[in-house]
Amino acid sequence: MREDAVSATPKNDAPQTQAPGVHPRPFWSLRPQSDRQSGDAVTSNFLLHWFPAKSFKASLAWGYSFWLGTTSAALLLLLTLSGLPLLFLYIPSVERAYASVKDIEYVVAFGAWIRAVHRLSAHLMVAVVFLHLVRVFLTGAYKNGAGQGQKREWNWVIGVGMLLLTLFLSFTGYLLPWDQLAYWAITVGTNIASSVPMVGASVRELLLGGRTIDQATLIRFYVLHCIFLPAGLGVLFLYHMWRVRKDGGLAKADHVALLAEKRPTEPSESKTYTLLGVARGTAPTVRTVSLEAPDTTVNSIPDLTRRLAIVILGTIAVVSMLSVFVHAPLEEPANPLITPNPTKAPWYFLWLQEVVTDTTIHLGSFTINGAFLGGVLLPSFLVALALAWPWLDRSPGVSAGVWFAASRKRQNAVFIAVVVLILILTFVGTFMRGPYWHFYWPWQQWPELPARI
Amino acid sequence: MSNGDNRREFLIKVGIGGGLAALAGQGIASLRSLVPNVSYDAPTTVKLGPPAEFPDGLKFLPDERLFVFRDGNTFHAISAVCTHLGCTVRAEALSQPETKTVDGKPLRLTHRFLCPCHGSKYSGDGGNISGPAPKPLAWCHLSLAPDDGQLVADLARPVERDFRLTVG
Repeated sequence: MREDAVSATPKNDAPQTQAPGVHPRPFWSLRPQSDRQSGDAVTSNFLLHWFPAKSFKASLAWGYSFWLGTTSAALLLLLTLSGLPLLFLYIPSVERAYASVKDIEYVVAFGAWIRAVHRLSAHLMVAVVFLHLVRVFLTGAYKNGAGQGQKREWNWVIGVGMLLLTLFLSFTGYLLPWDQLAYWAITVGTNIASSVPMVGASVRELLLGGRTIDQATLIRFYVLHCIFLPAGLGVLFLYHMWRVRKDGGLAKADHVALLAEKRPTEPSESKTYTLLGVARGTAPTVRTVSLEAPDTTVNSIPDLTRRLAIVILGTIAVVSMLSVFVHAPLEEPANPLITPNPTKAPWYFLWLQEVVTDTTIHLGSFTINGAFLGGVLLPSFLVALALAWPWLDRSPGVSAGVWFAASRKRQNAVFIAVVVLILILTFVGTFMRGPYWHFYWPWQQWPELPARI
Repeated sequence: MSNGDNRREFLIKVGIGGGLAALAGQGIASLRSLVPNVSYDAPTTVKLGPPAEFPDGLKFLPDERLFVFRDGNTFHAISAVCTHLGCTVRAEALSQPETKTVDGKPLRLTHRFLCPCHGSKYSGDGGNISGPAPKPLAWCHLSLAPDDGQLVADLARPVERDFRLTVG
């Protein structure tokens, strides 16, 4: 049928002698009439040139990846877009920062909405990037499968780096309004750094540009937030996507390929393979894993691009609408003299705050500061473990790209346990800690305490 | 021939080396410029006011984050900076003040201290009782200014818990 479409439009596609990408039509088509047009759209469009001409149906499935990576990228795009006007409106000075944010909130046209979009996207991005990591782990998608020269583990490493950058971006943005919330969250956050033995105090001083949180700190966090961290994230993002292509697409694709390869060599022992083989009605002679296999692939344009558009535009639409209702808070101006009670870090660090509260250890006269144990050692250990995990995971390549693969049962269980523990601690820190960090049930009333000493 | 090759290779190395050295110099200079040479932080030695203006018992000085205690004509000062993560602790008056021997000297305890951030508790002498605080609250050195007789606190100079300033 598609061949007919080609002959029906001979004017556009007839000259077979032309090199790909050089064709009479000045624009590519997002609604290609033929495979040729579809391929041309990939090669001649700058934005699409890094896409494959064909995509695996299985990789595009909503239920496999939940498109969390694309959603993160869409949120990053939205953060960049909403950040640009804020860049014009915000003044990174201790005297004027709070007033300029207040202006954005109450005076500037659409200012409150733009700020709400920026803040909501930031919070969502932390959550979605984390969920993306969870998805990649549970599907074993950092594992190399069928392809030659795959280095998926490195993309996992890049991904962990991007999660850390996302957290740091969010954290640096937290200080900028220069209100009480910001000031004390940063006080607690940077004091964790100073609990590192030997170098801690110097690290904190370098971070703050002095011994107290002041103008030097604000401008440091501002430049990190607006230039260095976004640039770093952008570079890693591009490399992340390039690696996805170099590694042969999503790990799901490998899974499909491995199944196809195994079929002739495994006659009837493995039920899984046999069942799938029967279901797909392919002869045992089919060894091909090539992208041309018509039953497993579709043209990237429009099938991949359509879904990309749905996810990206959908993300933007949802955040835009939510931001009308969810306003970004602005508390009293930062006051170094008054510590709010309770003082809480941003929610994604509250599991750590919960840990630093509980981990000070007294061994006789010897004391280990919980800030060091829970604030430095534990997160460093978790990150190091995450970075090393692709090399520690010894499960076979067939478990790449499969949700809850049987051969990865134990590590998945441990991973889920860690994730659940982090979520529980986050929940406790967010909803069950009142004045003086005392425990309260969410429905319990906090006691009335004087706001000032 | 081989001489020319050697010379060429040598010059290539000099060129690459020079370029890398310049790059490293730029990097080092950029990073070093971020380490402040001058501190505009508040001074650590501060005048607190004439001793006579301090009430008997406790006075909290928010700017210095310091509790100043007066018992007759003796003074001592305890920092309000929590030793866990640097939040400002709050003083809570005890219903029944008690006198305890601290480091060999009697001390009247009128308050205890609570941290709003992570729930650390300190006794009236600054000792860490519970919560994540790893150390007792610091005691600060007090003196009288030679020029006008004001009380002077040296926030950067911790002292033992038997320190008292007696104003005669």
